Amino acid sequence: MFQQPTWRLWGEERVDGAIYTVYLKKVRYHRPTRSASSESDDEISHLEWETVRVRFVKAGTVERLVEALATDDGELESTYVNVFLATYRSFAECSRVLDLLVRRYEALAAEDTLPAHAPAAPGADHSHQHRKTLVACLHVWLDTYPEDFRQPPHHPALQQLLAFTQLHLPGSELHLKVLQKLAVFSAERNGGAHVGGGVCLAPGMRLSAHHTSTYRLPHVPHRHFAEQLTRMDMELFKKLVPHQCLGAIWSRRDKDRSHDAATVLATVNQFNAVSFRVISTILVEPNLRPADRAEILAAWFDIARELRVLKNFSSLKAIISGLQSNAVYRLRKTWALLPKEKSELFEELARIFSEDNNRWAQRELLMREGTAKFADTVGENDRQLQKLLHERGSPGVSHGTIPYLGTFLTDLTMIDTAIPDTVADGLINFDKRRKEFEVLAQIKLLQGAANAYHLPSDAMFDRWFDSVIILDDREAYQLSCQIEPPTNPPKERRPRKIVDNNNQCHRKNDSIASTSSSNSSQFYCETDGAANAWKRDSLERRTSPTRLSHGSSSSSLPSLDVSLSSANSGQKPPNGKAPATSPAYANTRNGPDFYIIRVTYESDCVETEGVVLYKSIMLSNNEHTPQVIRNAMLKLNLDGDPDAYTLAQVLPDREMVLPANANVYYAVNTAYNLNFILRPRKSQQAEPVANGKPKNKRN
Amino acid sequence: MREYKIVVLGSGGVGKSALTVQFVQGIFVEKYDPTIEDSYRKQVEVDGQQCMLEILDTAGTEQFTAMRDLYMKNGQGFVLVYSITAQSTFNDLQDLREQILRVKDKDDVPMVLVGNKCDLEAERVVGKQQGSNLANHFNCAFMETSAKAKVNVNDVFYDLVRQINKKSPKEDKKPQKKPIKCIFM
Repeated sequence: MFQQPTWRLWGEERVDGAIYTVYLKKVRYHRPTRSASSESDDEISHLEWETVRVRFVKAGTVERLVEALATDDGELESTYVNVFLATYRSFAECSRVLDLLVRRYEALAAEDTLPAHAPAAPGADHSHQHRKTLVACLHVWLDTYPEDFRQPPHHPALQQLLAFTQLHLPGSELHLKVLQKLAVFSAERNGGAHVGGGVCLAPGMRLSAHHTSTYRLPHVPHRHFAEQLTRMDMELFKKLVPHQCLGAIWSRRDKDRSHDAATVLATVNQFNAVSFRVISTILVEPNLRPADRAEILAAWFDIARELRVLKNFSSLKAIISGLQSNAVYRLRKTWALLPKEKSELFEELARIFSEDNNRWAQRELLMREGTAKFADTVGENDRQLQKLLHERGSPGVSHGTIPYLGTFLTDLTMIDTAIPDTVADGLINFDKRRKEFEVLAQIKLLQGAANAYHLPSDAMFDRWFDSVIILDDREAYQLSCQIEPPTNPPKERRPRKIVDNNNQCHRKNDSIASTSSSNSSQFYCETDGAANAWKRDSLERRTSPTRLSHGSSSSSLPSLDVSLSSANSGQKPPNGKAPATSPAYANTRNGPDFYIIRVTYESDCVETEGVVLYKSIMLSNNEHTPQVIRNAMLKLNLDGDPDAYTLAQVLPDREMVLPANANVYYAVNTAYNLNFILRPRKSQQAEPVANGKPKNKRN
Repeated sequence: MREYKIVVLGSGGVGKSALTVQFVQGIFVEKYDPTIEDSYRKQVEVDGQQCMLEILDTAGTEQFTAMRDLYMKNGQGFVLVYSITAQSTFNDLQDLREQILRVKDKDDVPMVLVGNKCDLEAERVVGKQQGSNLANHFNCAFMETSAKAKVNVNDVFYDLVRQINKKSPKEDKKPQKKPIKCIFM
């Protein structure tokens, strides 16, 4: 048998259009088995070792790189084919590569039919083998990267391949495969079933907006939550197209990520969505007792612990990130209430994602457990995790692994930056692609491992997930400060910034190349003249590309505007007026007092197709009905007279229509979720007009 | 030797990673390995004092918005990068800076504003004056760099080291973070 080969770098070899790295490989001479060739002359040869020369393409033109898919002998170079197909998009178009492959095949075929060749000439054999290899490459390509050939409406690459097979390989397996792919793609177009980078509403959003979900932190089944989060992650991770992670695709500014890297973006958005849910559930009820809030914190710890067991490092990190976000992490009083073992657990879990030593801890862990059946790695200082794994023993079921994708994305970005695309003479640097493939191969391996998960889906969980309000980091900080005021108040910082901010804003408006125009529908002005920098801030935030891209893919998520203009009146509700068990009872502390309410727009004529959108708005303690309606109209993009609408709170058994000029803050029933319906007042003549949504108009 | 934790922030595609690679590696290396820690560490001498710089580059993870706070909490000095060829990358920095101040709970944090890609003068849309105005407003240093042409790259990091030294002359003693241990089996 072959012994582990010993490699020695021999040097480089240059030919026209390519550079090869040449190694000398020392291999043990393969002795034929005695039975196979007894008494032959080879038997007595005492040759133990031989040295083989092995060439690897280091760099080359596209033509040369395509040629290299087959060896000089016309054999399939399978590793090379894998690297090539995984990375070629960074240096050539699909059609170009296909063209070269087809032409090479045709050239070989033409050679074959030359009369000069005798039927049994060795050249013909060689050519035949070579062509077989090219067909094998096409098979691998079609099977592994069918998306490359999805070019609606006419799928030209597939058409080209079809023409090729009809001519050269009629009735072959490849021919049938092409026909079948074409049929599938065409059917998709007609059925419109293809879900690509477009925005689609999360399943939960299609349900009634005033649905009251039954999960409520902290009293949720931790294991079940972890499994459901893992199910969501797993679906996205399995759909992830690894080459979309390449630095040249994911990290370049000029690329359209929502299209070229849709599957990566979906994963990232889910990660953020989980973090936001952690932050939101901890902060959204400012008036909880600290002990109750600590319980919510602890519930997330327990969910995170289960995620560790499930080896879902994506949601695990998302939860840790949410807990370590400033707005949550700064709540010292809440954290101080956690029992010692809970704090230990958190620290042990957070340690996994330490940035120290280039994230050594998580790299090591992924290496050990990536394709293992279950979690079994703990540090000697991880008391809580040791206990956990001890209790569980080795589970009967094995789990897949879901990695935190960010580490791979950073690695690929750095490779893309550090290693040049081309070498001398403008040849494509294929060594760079090999380096990238090392990372892509890891991702693929883990994707395969993810098949080990078998998790049922729970629609109720999805509904809960979709019902959680999202706070941006400013809003979160705002709520956080309401829960625990800063120890050293931010002195002059805030006012100074407001002034600067305004200047900044004007200057920005004068400057060219603003990317915000596409987002103008998000702009609105404070009609009552109370516009202030907070509003402006939040308006600006929405124009930044990071927010934009986030928003575009999750436009169905509720958003929340913090408007201090109406929230800092300093009025306090009388003590004890609201029942203590309510989800949001009255605050007795200083500072802005508000609830977050959800408003759905409903009119007889709106064709909603079962889709109900709600918007979250802040309700402060001095807001009366017309003002609240105005705020809701702004968020819902409705023009017109506030008097033309009514607002009603949705209660389990009925709706409570708010009087025309009530103080809504006091009027609402806080024993139930604060869900509201805004609808046009009956018998009203004024015509409500929804911006940009003509179908909301009356018929 | 004193260690400095430096965080490089900015939108995707502004060349953050190029700044880091250029600073740490100096040259384009053939056998680059992003998974080893040496890719993000460099020992330098600043004003006669040896320092170990540890760079946290957020390249590739800009869209993981929920993680920024953690980067910020751990960093001592910040490089805020925009590209002079993309106005939006410049506009994004205001929010990033505010977030840093919030997380740090301070009014003044060691920071350098960097307009990268100054080799692409023909594509410039953010004027030098605009950059320096923003730096004034941030009350921080400002430089235009080119990672590609190796302009001002080291200066960015040296300046940051000096700022950190000035703010906290000795080793940062605040027990803001628990010591992080590696996981051993």
